Amino acid sequence: MNYLYHILIMICLYATLAQSLNLVVGYGGLLSLSHAAFYGLGAYIGSLLMMQAHWPFLLSLVTAVVTVSVLAWLVSIPAIRLHGDFFVLATLGFQVIVFAILYNWVDVTRGPYGIPGVPKPSVFGHSVTSPPAFLALAAVVALLCCGVLWLLLSSPFGRTLQAVREDEIAAASLGKDVNAFKRSAFAWAGAVAAVPGVLFATYSSYIDPTSFGLEESIFILCILIIGGAGNFRGPIIGAVVLVLLPEGLRFLRIPDSIAANLRQILYGLALVLMMRLRPQGIAGKYAFD
Amino acid sequence: MLQFLANGFCKGAVIALVALGFGLIYTTTRVFHIAHAAIYVLGAYALYAAMIWLKLPLPVAVGFGILVAVIAGMLVDWSVYQPLAKRSASSAVVLISSLGVLIVFENLIALGFGNQTQILRAGVERTVSIGSIILTQVQISQAIVGITLTGTFLLFLKHTRTGQLCRAISDDETLASVLGVRVNRIRLLAFGLGSAFAAIGSMLVALDVGMDPHVGFSVVLTAAVACIIGGLRNFLAPAAGGVLLGLTQSLVVWRTSAKWEEAVTFGILIFFLIFRRQGLFGVARRAEETA
Repeated sequence: MNYLYHILIMICLYATLAQSLNLVVGYGGLLSLSHAAFYGLGAYIGSLLMMQAHWPFLLSLVTAVVTVSVLAWLVSIPAIRLHGDFFVLATLGFQVIVFAILYNWVDVTRGPYGIPGVPKPSVFGHSVTSPPAFLALAAVVALLCCGVLWLLLSSPFGRTLQAVREDEIAAASLGKDVNAFKRSAFAWAGAVAAVPGVLFATYSSYIDPTSFGLEESIFILCILIIGGAGNFRGPIIGAVVLVLLPEGLRFLRIPDSIAANLRQILYGLALVLMMRLRPQGIAGKYAFD
Repeated sequence: MLQFLANGFCKGAVIALVALGFGLIYTTTRVFHIAHAAIYVLGAYALYAAMIWLKLPLPVAVGFGILVAVIAGMLVDWSVYQPLAKRSASSAVVLISSLGVLIVFENLIALGFGNQTQILRAGVERTVSIGSIILTQVQISQAIVGITLTGTFLLFLKHTRTGQLCRAISDDETLASVLGVRVNRIRLLAFGLGSAFAAIGSMLVALDVGMDPHVGFSVVLTAAVACIIGGLRNFLAPAAGGVLLGLTQSLVVWRTSAKWEEAVTFGILIFFLIFRRQGLFGVARRAEETA
């Protein structure tokens, strides 16, 4: 039963992550490979505040969210001056730099040893320790995050963001500050990505930099692309499919030694085939064109 | 100090080779060929298979490695990129496909050869000392091969018809095809040549320090950075960027430690992207032209 809870918790975390990336990639049209950096920064900032400063869970969570949001906004200032492949490369650069900091700044992050013993979250005096309770927390948080994104996207902000994606010059000529919208999208996406970061840290009670590397960024992007970008259902479908896929492989009794590689091959093939046959993903609207 | 500069130059020569291939492909076809990393790794593993499994002598094995890489590079263009180009898909679609190709290749190689590092040479390398500098034979061949190939490449672009066609396509693909240039054939050629450069680079590294299936990505990212800081739209600039990066990385290793190498590479990239987007030797263009 705990196994089932674990899978459902992972789906909640990844659905939130992909949904926040969707704001930038799907609605903003900015292909970004730095989402795991925001996710990881959330996890590290949250954990360190709880463990070193002994702050309560909710306060640490909020602080992590705000900090990551500001960081994402700052990163976006130089990045959005670039277009196309160069933008992707710049976000990739940020991802690599954050990973290097998490991995090498041993005094603060403990580097490759990771941070063990992250405390379980406690919400309004209730400590969340059992898997079903954690699932409830993760589900509520995922709903809240998606709710925030939904409100954001159905507001004039969301409409304008899509207009910018479709035709930047037209949007600018209507008096919209195109770059300000992109920066806000980044800040919001970073803020929301920090939330599953903190949750993941408290759930697994151990974090190390390898959970937040470039592979993770690519995986989150896979979820979004396979599910469908620029559509609210897409990331959720993608998270369900891509979290369940490796579990399905497990039931096929494929030996562990090759299962990891095989899973990656399936992701890669899915990306290539999706781009060739259905660039808008399973449920998506936006085809990166 | 001199020793580190010499090491950096040899390293830079390899980065320059990979970057020349990447740059040739990017400038000719506008494909941001992340899967170049897969070709890079494939070249080294083909060499490994030829030397260890088939017990071929080194020169034959090197030829085999290049051949495998060239064929693989052309196949990727033919089967993945050309259909997308025909549909005039956006650069994001091409980039994501390329990422997918890389993931598939990398893990296929890992399945076939294992995830661990493979060493091609046992024992102590023979070294050569020039003044106070000590270099291994492989390092010296890295520098020599790097310089020779860069020179040959320059002559090829300037003085052969195929080289001129590459430049023509890079300038305006539609116009070139209207004038009767067989664009797809030149594309394949660019991919083949670029892949050969990647394979030569990877074999030179593999002979030096060995390889594992996952090294390609960071090498090709460094190569991409080299292209950008050298200046795209200029076929030779990647070589300059590569040597510059090699030297910087080597200085970083000397001054701090190897673990900051990648972060510094990307720091340089971000600096260039913000302050000098056209690169060292590029010419600034208006946004509409670079689209």
